[in-house]
Amino acid sequence: MTARSVKWWSLVHKWTSLVCTLFLLMLCITGLPLIFHDEIDDLFKSEATARELPTDTPQAPLSRLVDAAKARYPQRYIQVLGWDDDRANVVNVFSSATPEAPPGQRFLKLSFDSRTAELIGEDAQQDGLMRAIRIFHRDMFLGLPGELVLGFMGLLFVAAIVSGVVLYAPFMRRLEFGAVRRAGARRVKWLDLHNLIGAVTLVWLAAVGVTGVINTISLPLFSAWRAQVMPDLIAPHLGKPPLAKLADVDDVVAAARQALDGNTPTSIVFPTEARFGTPRHFIVWTKGTTPITSRLFTPAMLDAETGQLVTARGLPWYLRALQVSRPLHFGDYGGLPLKIIWALLDLAAIVVLASGVYLWLGKRKAPRAARVPDRPAVAATSALRP
Amino acid sequence: MTRRRQTTKNIFRWPLWLGVLTVVGLASALFGNDHWDALSWIALAIPLAVLGWKASRAH
Repeated sequence: MTARSVKWWSLVHKWTSLVCTLFLLMLCITGLPLIFHDEIDDLFKSEATARELPTDTPQAPLSRLVDAAKARYPQRYIQVLGWDDDRANVVNVFSSATPEAPPGQRFLKLSFDSRTAELIGEDAQQDGLMRAIRIFHRDMFLGLPGELVLGFMGLLFVAAIVSGVVLYAPFMRRLEFGAVRRAGARRVKWLDLHNLIGAVTLVWLAAVGVTGVINTISLPLFSAWRAQVMPDLIAPHLGKPPLAKLADVDDVVAAARQALDGNTPTSIVFPTEARFGTPRHFIVWTKGTTPITSRLFTPAMLDAETGQLVTARGLPWYLRALQVSRPLHFGDYGGLPLKIIWALLDLAAIVVLASGVYLWLGKRKAPRAARVPDRPAVAATSALRP
Repeated sequence: MTRRRQTTKNIFRWPLWLGVLTVVGLASALFGNDHWDALSWIALAIPLAVLGWKASRAH
């Protein structure tokens, strides 16, 4: 590599890193507790589990759960019914105070024993520290604009990783892998550590960075899909009177199961004015049963009044990509050991970011004579040699 | 530490293999549970161990 291209790549590395570093540090620090959010939630909030009953106890009709939820809060709007991920035989019914349920409005969660239809828990899903950390990590309390800013920072981070890889070669020309020079200036030691940790964690940093960027555009991606499918779904209902009566929810689920044979229903979106559903359909979200396909959700749309299947096509590739990118960002797909590895790598990322800032500051503060030359090829080989 | 000029291939040999291990680790836990998870832990622990070993020689 010529000295000129080294200089050019140094500039790219410096500026892409400088712009995104504070945001990335924030993401790494807030991300650390989020890795363990399941464990932390369990620690502070013990949710009621379903009673011990013989294993062959049949499931109650879902309509009984829905009726019970309606009877308890007649003035609320039932938006979603979901089978609990972690608690066996528990079904949650989520309702909102207004029919539109704008983003950010909290749902009331009623948890039922799915065999006895008995109400076992009520959760207003109020503000908690973990919730605040999650929202800050996602959008810094700024909604979609905040999310997109973080997405852009993620892109800069990816550019910083790429330029870092390019610069790695001239810096390491005369150093063995992992060599950390201790004898000389502190700056040299931190330069070597920055290179070492960066080189080892590179693929993980890139994976979590890219999947994080994909997550930041999840809202626009869902809006794009919605804009694509909604006109066809709604066209037959234009000009028709409001819904007279809803189809039986158990018939709806049975029809969805039949259409997506082999998939397990995970949730039902009731006919709604909210953006996550349609006013004229039930949406039954299903997932596959193998480890990979259980990450891939497929919706079935069913007519709100007749309960008949309208469509059960798979999602477009960009939503599939989004679904696969989620576990790769969260690290929640390989048990507690994987989460611990995720946390260690996150700490390593913090060291890379902080040492990068330190190296930049040190370079700026150093008197001209003691300055490390701008060309890293020289810096790494002769000028810094103790 | 070496004073010899290394080829680019040499420079990237270790990072490349550790990167391959990381890819294997990230992917295998997606493919399945139990054995796949264990493979993932091992594949991802090796780069961390190398990092710990090399960094511990800094002090």
